[in-house]
Amino acid sequence: MPPADEPLWNVVEVSKTYPGVLANDRVSIRLMAGRIHGLMGENGCGKSTLIRILSGVHPPDSGEIRRQGKRVNMTTPTEARAQGVATVFQEFSIVRTLTVAENVFLGRWPRTALGLIDWNTMRRRSREVLAELEIAIDPDAITANLSVAQQQLVEIAKAVAADAQLIILDEPTTALGVDEIDLLHTLLRRMRDKGHAILYVSHRLDEVTALVDEVTVLRGGRVVAQAGEIAIEVDAIVNAMIGGSVKDHYPKKCNTHPEVAMSVRSISTVRGIHDVSFTLHKGEVLGLGGVLGSGRTEIARALFGLDTLTDGDVAVAGRSLRLRSPADAIRAGLALVTENRKTDGLFFNFAGRANMSSASLPRLSAFGFLDLKREDAEAAALARELELSHGATDKSVVHLSGGNQQKVVIARWLLSDARVLILDEPTQGIDIGAKLAVYRLINRLTAQGCAIVLISSDHEELLAMSDRVAVVQKGTIVDIRAPQDLTTADLVRAATLRSGRTAA
Amino acid sequence: MRRYVDAQLLGPFAALILVTLVIALTTERFLDPGNLSNLALQVAIVALIGIGSTVVVFSGGIDLSSGSMVALLTMILATAIKSFGVPLWPALIGALVIGTAIGALNGVLSAYLRIPSFIVTLAGLIAYRGLALMFNAGSPIFSLHPGLEPVFYGTLFGIPLPFFYLVAFYGAATMMMMNTRLGREIYAVGGNPAAAKLSGINVRRVQTIAFAIAGFMTAVGAVLMAARLNSGSPNYGQTLELQAIAAAVVGGASLAGGRGNILSTLVGALTIVIVQNALNLNAAPAAVQNVILGLIILVAVGLDMWRTEIAHTLARLFKGRR
Repeated sequence: MPPADEPLWNVVEVSKTYPGVLANDRVSIRLMAGRIHGLMGENGCGKSTLIRILSGVHPPDSGEIRRQGKRVNMTTPTEARAQGVATVFQEFSIVRTLTVAENVFLGRWPRTALGLIDWNTMRRRSREVLAELEIAIDPDAITANLSVAQQQLVEIAKAVAADAQLIILDEPTTALGVDEIDLLHTLLRRMRDKGHAILYVSHRLDEVTALVDEVTVLRGGRVVAQAGEIAIEVDAIVNAMIGGSVKDHYPKKCNTHPEVAMSVRSISTVRGIHDVSFTLHKGEVLGLGGVLGSGRTEIARALFGLDTLTDGDVAVAGRSLRLRSPADAIRAGLALVTENRKTDGLFFNFAGRANMSSASLPRLSAFGFLDLKREDAEAAALARELELSHGATDKSVVHLSGGNQQKVVIARWLLSDARVLILDEPTQGIDIGAKLAVYRLINRLTAQGCAIVLISSDHEELLAMSDRVAVVQKGTIVDIRAPQDLTTADLVRAATLRSGRTAA
Repeated sequence: MRRYVDAQLLGPFAALILVTLVIALTTERFLDPGNLSNLALQVAIVALIGIGSTVVVFSGGIDLSSGSMVALLTMILATAIKSFGVPLWPALIGALVIGTAIGALNGVLSAYLRIPSFIVTLAGLIAYRGLALMFNAGSPIFSLHPGLEPVFYGTLFGIPLPFFYLVAFYGAATMMMMNTRLGREIYAVGGNPAAAKLSGINVRRVQTIAFAIAGFMTAVGAVLMAARLNSGSPNYGQTLELQAIAAAVVGGASLAGGRGNILSTLVGALTIVIVQNALNLNAAPAAVQNVILGLIILVAVGLDMWRTEIAHTLARLFKGRR
């Protein structure tokens, strides 16, 4: 046994430069066996770089990495794996068409004497690993048929099967529901107790503070708070991350007018929402609370013409709408920012400008010809107003940070003059600075009379930013209340309640 | 103006200039006026059909049916003129209309019935040539019309007409992709169909229009093919669809869809035809020419793929110096 204060992995003064950016500036971090270490910081602070260095994806320019006191050199992911490092990236590295067992032993399949895959051994050992971790998944299941959460557990099982002593998780909960996050955390605690070192990277502060044993905070490529120097509390971590204190974490302004912007009367769709009714006023923010899969996203789809209404009626500014396609919805002044900006929000083949104008092409063209000058001028003006990074309108959106990408997607609907904006998880996966920018944008839009439907799994955000909150459960709205009358606990309880009514 | 000059095109264009210079210096008859106008004639058909193939690629699809469609359209045109006595110009316009309709059919099958365009047009590649063979018992039809050959061989100010067709159609296509709402919608659909739909763009309609444009340009190519040989034949246009796509690729267009410059296809087609011309002038056998064409495609795409790596390596070398 090494001495108790000897770290399993010790990163000492590591620096890494990418063309034009000092991404890691003499970063040191000590990862202890049997401890969960949180790595925090805003987007672009150097977290990803540090993960890539530890995973052998990019070697550092200077500094050293020690494993149990011995200096190691890792220049490829294979070398890192051989040293017992397993990384679960945001984009999974499992092969969806293979079985769970095949994935657990991906690339290291046990062989028979003839060189064929030894299915029996592979199944048996997979079952052992899954049982050890108390994961209830059939080793013969095809991975593609599992939920995202289960796929993540398979990733972790894979790390354990490879005998990894250090497990790095990069934003592991972005796609998970409340129960699934609990399941993951339980598993991670169990692994910690077995002596694994875990490096946990996440934006969700409440989650991190509940889970980790120590925290390192990065800002601008440097360590601004070492493990042990900082309390594991939301406020302390936020202050370190942004380099100051944010008293007005949620800069909520109430801009509700009495005038009705949209009225929804008992709509139903084949996707499982039924009898949904609510009224939205000008300048109002209506929050939709509930768990993943409760039907919030499906309500958004119905309002935006993506799912056909089987019943009910939607009226904007007093006029009843025929919603057969998003084009109909856009013409009526509706807008939808989906939760997956990467898959169905952004055009990575376009620069920021064309991304902003994609929903305004009819307005920006005459006789089929685009007014490119006007497009350019409007996009540039909007970019300045939204404090988008310099040159964002000319660069492909691939090169923008998550926060700036989100601003571009929202800007699309500012250009289209939307009167009702539906925001589905608008702050997911973006840093605090960008979140504040989104909140300010919400205030600005409501001040102009735009009505907003806000869907968020961040209950604190939902309660702080909404004028009224609708609780969604099993495809329908069961209750609408002022946020003062609700607590985070109420939302969680309503979401997990089995009956059709909330306990009021 | 800056908008029309894009970096993607610079490499292939520089390569075209370099290849032309080398050939001009090494091959005696290359710069003869006769040879140069011959080049314009050789490049015209594949470059014009390539406009449509490239528009389909930009929209996220692929069109493998154009070569067979050329055969079918020349046979329809020949039958209309010879067997039904349709006057020349109405027959030519009819061929353009039918070509556009066949392209639209390809589009409807892939966009509305959701059969991948690779499969739809692979079926078209086989079936359209089969249809062409049903005309005139599968035999070519010759001597269509005395007024047909000038459509291809005619000149204006001593310059062959196909040169003007190229300028006109590439000008119009560039204008369409850069300046029109339809062009933008084609790029949007090719780049991210889900995001395009959520932006209110009628994705299926745009995909169908892209195929209809391809059908129209294929018909233009078919008319020129019939005019060039004053005949229709079920054997015309073999592998033309692949040559058109190869031209786009050599010119630096990406088959992934959503991005690229339509002029890539012209640059690529010119590169291929000029190299072939030089090989002809130097009496290289046809088999060698095919091998060299294959190599050109590999090198062009390879250079494009490695471009970022090459740039990174250079950057690292320079940084090492400091």
